[in-house]
Amino acid sequence: MNSTTAPKFYETKKFRENVRLTFVTLLLLAGSTLILMPLWWMISTSLKSPAEIAQYPPSFFPEKLNFSNYVEAWQTAPFTRWALNTLFLATVGTIGSVLVNSLVAYGFAKIRFKGRNALFVIVLSTMLIPGFVTMVPQYILFSKLGWVNTYLPLLVPAFLGSAFFIFLLRQFMMGIPNELVEAAVLDGAGHLQIWWHIMLPLTKPALITVAIFTFNGAWNDLLGPLLYINDESMYTLQIGLQTFKGTVQTQWHYLMAMSVSVLLPVILLFFFFQKYFIEGSNISSGTKG
Amino acid sequence: MKSSDTTLAHTKGGSKVMQEQKAAETVGRTKGLSKKAKENLAGYLFISPWIIGFLGLTLGPLLFSLAASFTDYNITSKMNFIGLENYKRMFTMDDLFRTSLFNTIYYVIFSVPLTTAGAILLAVLLNQKIKGMKFFRTIYYLPAVLSGVAVYFLWMQLLSPSTGLVNTMLAWIGIDGPAWLFDPEWTKPALLLMKMWSVGGGMLLYLAIMQGVSAQMYEAADIEGASPWQKFYHITLPMISPIIFFDVITSTIGAFQIFQEAYVMTENGSGGPGNSLLFYNLHMWNNAFEVFDMGYASAMAWLLFIIVMILTTVNMKLGKRWVHYEGGDSK
Amino acid sequence: MKRGLAFIIAVFMLIGLLAGCSGENKAEADKTKDGKIVVDFWTFWGSETRRPIIEKIIDDYNSSQDKVFVKHTFLPWGDIWTKNLASVAAGNPADVIVNDINTVAQRAENKQVEDLSQYIDDSFKQKFHPHLWDTVEYDGKSYAVPFNTDTRLLFYNKTAFKEAGLDPEKPPATWAELEEYAKKLDVKNGDNYERVGFYPLWGSVGASSWMTNADSGKGFIEDGELTINTPKKVEALNWILDWKERLGENTVQAFQAEFGSEQANPFIAEKVAMWVDVGTFYTQLRDYGQDVDFGVAPIPANEEGSGNWAEGGGFVVEIPKGAKHPEEAMDFIKYLTDVEAQKYWSVKNYDNVANIEAAEAALNELEGPDKMVYEATVKNLKQTKMFPVPVEYPDYHSRLNPHIDNALLGKTSPEEALEEAEEDIAKMKKE
Repeated sequence: MNSTTAPKFYETKKFRENVRLTFVTLLLLAGSTLILMPLWWMISTSLKSPAEIAQYPPSFFPEKLNFSNYVEAWQTAPFTRWALNTLFLATVGTIGSVLVNSLVAYGFAKIRFKGRNALFVIVLSTMLIPGFVTMVPQYILFSKLGWVNTYLPLLVPAFLGSAFFIFLLRQFMMGIPNELVEAAVLDGAGHLQIWWHIMLPLTKPALITVAIFTFNGAWNDLLGPLLYINDESMYTLQIGLQTFKGTVQTQWHYLMAMSVSVLLPVILLFFFFQKYFIEGSNISSGTKG
Repeated sequence: MKSSDTTLAHTKGGSKVMQEQKAAETVGRTKGLSKKAKENLAGYLFISPWIIGFLGLTLGPLLFSLAASFTDYNITSKMNFIGLENYKRMFTMDDLFRTSLFNTIYYVIFSVPLTTAGAILLAVLLNQKIKGMKFFRTIYYLPAVLSGVAVYFLWMQLLSPSTGLVNTMLAWIGIDGPAWLFDPEWTKPALLLMKMWSVGGGMLLYLAIMQGVSAQMYEAADIEGASPWQKFYHITLPMISPIIFFDVITSTIGAFQIFQEAYVMTENGSGGPGNSLLFYNLHMWNNAFEVFDMGYASAMAWLLFIIVMILTTVNMKLGKRWVHYEGGDSK
Repeated sequence: MKRGLAFIIAVFMLIGLLAGCSGENKAEADKTKDGKIVVDFWTFWGSETRRPIIEKIIDDYNSSQDKVFVKHTFLPWGDIWTKNLASVAAGNPADVIVNDINTVAQRAENKQVEDLSQYIDDSFKQKFHPHLWDTVEYDGKSYAVPFNTDTRLLFYNKTAFKEAGLDPEKPPATWAELEEYAKKLDVKNGDNYERVGFYPLWGSVGASSWMTNADSGKGFIEDGELTINTPKKVEALNWILDWKERLGENTVQAFQAEFGSEQANPFIAEKVAMWVDVGTFYTQLRDYGQDVDFGVAPIPANEEGSGNWAEGGGFVVEIPKGAKHPEEAMDFIKYLTDVEAQKYWSVKNYDNVANIEAAEAALNELEGPDKMVYEATVKNLKQTKMFPVPVEYPDYHSRLNPHIDNALLGKTSPEEALEEAEEDIAKMKKE
């Protein structure tokens, strides 16, 4: 840059930054429309009448907005009950998952104990066997424990850690400087305190991610509840959604109305939770700045 | 403790922090056994939930399935030892086994790099200071929330050869799009496209770790006149490398286990046109629950275990070279 | 902010806990409060249309006696059998379950179902269509009772017939006629088809159905012998390839994709003039295709006199191995498959039932087009073949289909494809 004359407006840093951000915004906008097409299709189908859905070619906008689809779909089965059941399972599972996985991950990331590496390899290896070959023996195990037709097979594992999340959180914690832990140890803090007071706040974005993933997973889980629950009053929303898929005919208008309804809480949750993302830690700036 | 490994990685990393950290480690070690025993105990206590779960819920079924792989276990009545018969059958008699392995490896080779790169790119874009970022992030995460049959049916429409959105858009830029799910050559690319669409889950991981990269580092780089690419390469990339490592390993495992998409999109697991979507797990599922040959399915599962285990080990070894842990611990 | 988050979590927990606790009253008890034995009945009939019908039948049964209480549980299609398998393995299965009719022998062989022979005599067997009863017998024993079935018919658009100068009361009777009619029924606009007369792979029918139809109803495995590579089956594949060639790959794919989502149907949209489907397809026509003037006919015969063979499917009710109350379960099964319940199911669902007397009684209760289609399906049962999966070749479908696909994709000739298929399947024979 020439230092004698003031830079022209298009040469300023601010201008270039603005151009870049505008470009990114446009890119994101274009991508958004692609991403949103499916959602639009779901919503539009959920508002159509069965006769309109059967039409060819399919219409982009519903002729008439049948909001009654939502009410009717909800009333075809005890969906309120099922929604509460799902909420319970997802919430309890999420709390368990966040606490336990971060505890275990802390152990693997920041405590030097004998056999750590070997045990960690075992953690990873549990991810490698496809679920359905262990499904039957696991079912038999839960059955022998008398847990069939209770929520225990769905909740207890959440409190015993999952390889995926342990691995994930370990990766995040490895990124946190060891001096922090060592300084705290010198101050006489125990690992539990360090975990709670230092590690949890510093890995907030990661914990939020784990929370979102777990909640989402539990919310969308079909096979778990289906295998272990025999009582319809204890069913979940995902099983409920299956009632619209007939052997002869699928009730698309209801299926889509309920799918949208089931989706909504998860989206809202994500929307509101993500602010903790940004608010969350800025590890390096805090420690190195 | 493999201290030699540690040293190697440290010299590669070579940062000052790491060297300091190592010094601290040596000091700690000289303090005597009681502290070490305490650390051991603390370690086991912290990971105890996982140990309980592993011993109580996972190990039994895992060993059971391993044992079953040497039998003709049919889930409900018989379980006779037949030695390595199941393993032999895979390689000598079952043509579909080869097809399914090929399809799966094809899918892994393309999906892992594509989704990893896609997720990083998206995370970088979504980590800018732009108005409405909250909405953008929510929108891009959406596909990861959507699940089940509705999504697959939707994609069947989007990929429709003549009127689907995908081919319509290709036509705008003068490309005559393929028949996607109806052409055996294009079924797997179609699935890859679908996978790319829902890259928002991976994006979230990168976004999370990018929150830990300090603004000062970028500012310092700005002062030195670094280009955006240089900043990405020298600051962002090393900082997010632990998650890239995680993503590559878990998405490799996940890609090897692809099942649901093929199961739903090919009418109860028929495998699609010309068996082009007969993936490893789909073939395994059919053996286990259609033919009730759980012994064979278990053998397939354990062969997959070995394959993925080897890949994961290679990944872990390679990871030591390029994964940068700010905490200064390479293992 | 933090307080807000804590509050949200607390509320979720509270709601959830309330829901969870009240939900965990175990209702797995063997007996009801008033001492009736509980019989668990698992079905996949959970939709708004089917559930009330099966539950009415159950209610009737429950109030008809005072010893047993049948408890209905809905489980989604497909997954219901996975769960059944796990629960049989664990020793706590349902007492009665609905299952696929063509795989009863598989389940008998693998000891997943109870032998019902002791509860069944000849007079009971004779209540059912013989081709259905055959599927539940294995090694001289009976392992299930047929519940419902289906058959395939040719639906044709009478308006289109008139437009094309064809007699709407004379549907095609042979493959040759089918082809001749189809050509007349095609409507082309330049290179694009606005209406396709017929395409053999659309509707509820596949290449294998045409192959067995051509081969005088002979399946792929007859009495333990492989009958895959037969001249007639090769002919059928060539015939399908001819159709494909005539219409062009693009037309076929475009139509298939447009209607692949199962939402819209090309016959109802009058884009295809002739269409093979199961009898219950009529209910969709009735509900969404009021304007379509249609007729039904048996599937055309390969050549005159070779038989209008159609493929059939359906469901049975059976007792999973290890069920706690087999005797009570069997009593309920007998009720389910008796005239009254079967007639009710048939009329309400417009479904073909296994009980002969019930099927005839249902016919008398229907009128108009309802009756026309139903009558055609009942008549058609005589030309309907079931292809139960033989125990020696449990996965022959998944090994045969790719070869047929390859032939249809032009990768191999039909002769080669069927020859290879036969070799492949012979190799996987189970002792």
